[in-house]
Amino acid sequence: MTKLKHVKAIQNGDFRGLPISATSTAINLTGNWKFFRPHLVAKDSPCRQACPLNIPIATYLDKLSSGKPLEALDLLRDTNPMPAVTGRVCPHFCQSACNRQEFDEAVLIGDLERYLGDLGLEYPHPASAEKKTEKIAIIGAGPAGLSAAFFLARQGLKVTIFEKAPTAGGLLRYGIPAYRLPRSILDQEIDNLLTSFNIDLQCNRNIEASELLQLKKEYHNIIWAPGLQHSSLPTPWRTIPQIKGALEILAAINRGENIDGQRFIVVGGGNAALDTARSLLRLGKQVEIVYRRTIAEMPAYEEEKKQALEEGLLINEEEVVEKIETVANTLQLNIHQTQNNAGRINAGTFLKTIETDYLIAAIGQESDLAFDNNDSVIKAGDFDHGAASVAEALASGRRAAENILKQLEITPSIDVNEGSENPVIVENDQLHLEYYSKKPAVSVPELDSRIRKENFSEIRQALSEEQMKSEIERCFHCGSCTACGICWFFCPDVAIAIDLEESNPDKRVLFDYDHCKGCGQCAAICPRGVIEMEEDH
Amino acid sequence: MHKQAILLGSDAIAHGVRLSRPEVISAYPITPQTHIIETLSEMVDSGELKSQYIKVESEMSAIAAVLGSVSTGSRSFTASSSQGLAMMHEILHWVAGARLPLVLVNANRALGAPWNIWSDQSDSFSQRDTGWLQIYCETSQEALDTIIIAYKASEQLMLPIMVMIDGFILSHTMERLLVPDQQIVDDYLPAYKAPYRLDPDNSLTFGAAAHPDLFYELKKTFSETMTEALTVLDQCQEEFAQKFGRCYQPVMRCPEGDEKSNTALLCCGAMTGTVRVAVAELNKNGTPTDLIKLRLLRPFPNRELCEALKDKKQVIVLNRACSYGVGGTLSQEVRAALYNLPQRPLINDVMISLGGKEVFPETITEVVENREQLSSVECNWLDS
Repeated sequence: MTKLKHVKAIQNGDFRGLPISATSTAINLTGNWKFFRPHLVAKDSPCRQACPLNIPIATYLDKLSSGKPLEALDLLRDTNPMPAVTGRVCPHFCQSACNRQEFDEAVLIGDLERYLGDLGLEYPHPASAEKKTEKIAIIGAGPAGLSAAFFLARQGLKVTIFEKAPTAGGLLRYGIPAYRLPRSILDQEIDNLLTSFNIDLQCNRNIEASELLQLKKEYHNIIWAPGLQHSSLPTPWRTIPQIKGALEILAAINRGENIDGQRFIVVGGGNAALDTARSLLRLGKQVEIVYRRTIAEMPAYEEEKKQALEEGLLINEEEVVEKIETVANTLQLNIHQTQNNAGRINAGTFLKTIETDYLIAAIGQESDLAFDNNDSVIKAGDFDHGAASVAEALASGRRAAENILKQLEITPSIDVNEGSENPVIVENDQLHLEYYSKKPAVSVPELDSRIRKENFSEIRQALSEEQMKSEIERCFHCGSCTACGICWFFCPDVAIAIDLEESNPDKRVLFDYDHCKGCGQCAAICPRGVIEMEEDH
Repeated sequence: MHKQAILLGSDAIAHGVRLSRPEVISAYPITPQTHIIETLSEMVDSGELKSQYIKVESEMSAIAAVLGSVSTGSRSFTASSSQGLAMMHEILHWVAGARLPLVLVNANRALGAPWNIWSDQSDSFSQRDTGWLQIYCETSQEALDTIIIAYKASEQLMLPIMVMIDGFILSHTMERLLVPDQQIVDDYLPAYKAPYRLDPDNSLTFGAAAHPDLFYELKKTFSETMTEALTVLDQCQEEFAQKFGRCYQPVMRCPEGDEKSNTALLCCGAMTGTVRVAVAELNKNGTPTDLIKLRLLRPFPNRELCEALKDKKQVIVLNRACSYGVGGTLSQEVRAALYNLPQRPLINDVMISLGGKEVFPETITEVVENREQLSSVECNWLDS
């Protein structure tokens, strides 16, 4: 019988004769075989690129998804001073650029921003840098002025805001209806911003352009952000008392004033037209919109159009008010069908006559402030660039602040463009979507249209924590390493290590170049397109 | 101690695997093996079998996955057939060379071309030289039992074992059999304690480069361990017989045969059942015939086979796999083993079936009755 020499040896823990070695293969530096090597190239997500404020969306959502909401909030507020506001009123340029759109649906970035923004109402902004002696005056406490104040005060500058109205907010308060932006949220967000940095707000202070030179003696620099005060009216309309501008009527409604009349025709297709019409609807008025193009061509935000139609607002599309007659305190409007001649809209055939108490013009805004182009002040907001979104106004305020910091040779303590200097945008075809499964966006409840048109309650509800978590899982984190570990899993040479604790996404993947053979599998499979191959020298 | 059951061959095998408590299973479905792993996946899903089931996209990945899992010290299982086993070929060498204990069930099936899904042993005979032990089973009971025995022997030897069943003939037919209780199997087959394993805290290098002299030395040890495997397998089968009451040996004389006859038939796998019927008939009708069933192809039981056939004048080997240009693969193995006998019997190489060609008792009796006409030089193919 065979003596069990080898079997006994194994059973006694003797491995001689087995193809096993207690030495490491690490001495075999296979890394010197390679011609190409992988490296991490942080890229920009298309959402960030589309955002007027350049908010690092993929990065702050990464913090939120790893259970660090306060760090996410800090990152968000580094670039956006008013996320509770923008989370509600911004048209979400980010979502229109989201790579997920082509996969299933865009991530609800706006609702996630609102989630963090609301959380931030309870938390003061981080303390400002070292106090500086320079004093800055800002004219106008709208979004541009408040944003400029934030970015200056954060650097320790002493900021005073002069506001004509009794309360801060500008268009946010007097232009945007409460059902889109509840006043309690606006108040809290502004208060938090002002008190966190000890910004001096002086309301009921109307500064004329002529006073600027005097003000310049007291303040090192001045930011001029008064906004656009009036709706534009065609000259023949200005003399008719029953014709009013949308901004004026919206401001009156938002101040809680009593609105005369019962029948209203709103002319226009922008957000101001819809905001005015829907606010009047909520006051129990009879409202119709007359718009010269189709509903699809209306420049108002899609969400606003959808909600307005749900509320039963009557929109007369491709119609125009051709003639107005005043008959015993009421207006007789001759409505004509429009004709679209290669983009030019002309009045066509007569359609009908409408009798109304008031005609509201929502066809543009203008400023009546006398203002010389004065080099000693920096313009910001709608006054500077014309009517635009809240996010654009905030960005404009930030740019004004950055100008001043540059003049004062102050390096901002937070670089709002960090990682975005030479943006390489991750396009859809650079993602590896096989690592994701289809999942529709969460359904965010909205107040029923029958109930909401009776009052000014906020329409869109907040995400629950569960919905937030579910929605955040949908983010691809385009161009931002999440330490998902798929490269680690695929690396055939165990030459990749993942640092799960590393907060900087650009440092989460560690390559062992001594042993990496440069096969490129990691670059080929990275779901977010962050790993690239470069020539190895 | 056990339960009686009437089970499909594939289910019987799945129970054999379940009772062996593998911690990791990875397999890719292929007819006629599919039912085995389907049943196992259901057992894992229901919690009846506590095991990780790794879904993969090919047999190459299946065998690579269990190569990994068994390297970490987890008892593992895989199963395949035909083209699937062929696809595993490279890793089969690697598993054996790395001295990893693994059990693989192969449902024997023909290899294409032409396309054929029926029973044929060419697939596993093609893997003869990969360093795996190979055991061929006649019945589903034998397959169930052999899986349990194979784990025990494999882990003592640190060598992988392939257990063969004939596709469809066993996998897709019902059989009355005994399913042992878990307790008695646990008593026979303790949990696997790997003498060495992949462990980040105690790093070892598996299968790294070996220079020519070391390579030669390792392969010599490997070959010697293969010889020792006969003894280890014997011990495992004997202990199994004591505990379970069913006795298995590498070479088994069937009671239907006439031990004193000059002529013996030799075969392996499920065909043995049919041959038993034919041999009983032959002996009844005055043609004394012996029947030897070969269970073990690797390591080849030279000594046992010589002992069983030393007094025969003629040995007829029934083949289900062909080494083209030589003849029946099994015949060549038998020839080589018997060459050392002082009185060598005449050896007839008969290609009894390929690609599921039906073997009837009459096919066998006809071969034996016409044994004088069989060539002992050329392979004997049946007239169609």
